[in-house]
Amino acid sequence: MEDVVTHEEDWKSCFAELGPGLVLFARQFVRSIADAEDIVQDAFVRFWRKQHSVNDPPSPGFCVASRGLLYATVRSTALDLLRRDARRARREATASADMEQITEPQFDFDDGSQRALVAAVDLLPVEQREVLVMKIWNELTFAEIASALSISQNTAASRYRYALAALKKNFVVHE
Amino acid sequence: MNDFSELEAELKKLRPRAVSPDLRARIEVNLAETEAAGRGTATAGVLPKQRRFRPNWFALGLGLAAAATFLILARVNVDRPSKSTGLALLTPAPITPAAKALDSFVPAAMTQVVYDTKDEGLHFADGQDEPMRRLRSRKRETVQWKNPQTGASLRVSYPKEEVTLIPISGQ
Repeated sequence: MEDVVTHEEDWKSCFAELGPGLVLFARQFVRSIADAEDIVQDAFVRFWRKQHSVNDPPSPGFCVASRGLLYATVRSTALDLLRRDARRARREATASADMEQITEPQFDFDDGSQRALVAAVDLLPVEQREVLVMKIWNELTFAEIASALSISQNTAASRYRYALAALKKNFVVHE
Repeated sequence: MNDFSELEAELKKLRPRAVSPDLRARIEVNLAETEAAGRGTATAGVLPKQRRFRPNWFALGLGLAAAATFLILARVNVDRPSKSTGLALLTPAPITPAAKALDSFVPAAMTQVVYDTKDEGLHFADGQDEPMRRLRSRKRETVQWKNPQTGASLRVSYPKEEVTLIPISGQ
């Protein structure tokens, strides 16, 4: 019984810490929060079950230590979803191509300046956006990002710099 | 000094939207199902999806066709003796000592199929003054026994040749 309670507390604290960032990351692949949450649900449960079976009970702090794997699971789940549902994939591609698309906001923002920044982030290519999301809002290291995306650390760092450069070009930071 | 530090600070001020309570509840249900299914039963990390009933129309059609064919063939087998009443004679098989010898098998039917009849003309039989018409018939007889307890059946089929002498009268 105690094990179950501990287990519940473990996943809840893990999800409380990483959940919002995971949903934000999943949103880079789909255009609705509902789809992103479906992806995170699927990926998180898969991740947790796998960790739970391999490392029973999970060691303390394994959740943060396995962030790279968790993000990789979210990413592969999202790509699987897009591949499986060709119609959805076409719809998402069309939506991505359409700059006047109506999408649910990914962030809570306070003012017009933040709104403009979010819009600028939305304009970034997916490869840059996913690195930016992992780095800024999830605080993953480049090593973790590289592991999650199956790329080199240099590539991850380059994409991050390109993303920031593009944002800086399109967005002027206000005092 | 990082050229982008100011921009990074601005980006970090953005707060990702909170996760809906519904998502947390759904994950809780999924993980509870895993717990219920037994610890350590997780496979290669593959979460079984909710089963949706998707009929396999091809298999269903094939099954129905097979069932229909079976019923038609069964019907044909049942009907065959009565269809050939023109040529065959269906009579209750006589209870013979041989049949009694078969343990718990009881005679069920006997079928005679006449497939050839030849008129061999007039002949004088031995010791007869009058000619007689001789008919030679070729038949196949099938005798069937059934075991009422088990439903098993035994069928014996054999060829038979029969010569019939018909007296000529008043011609």
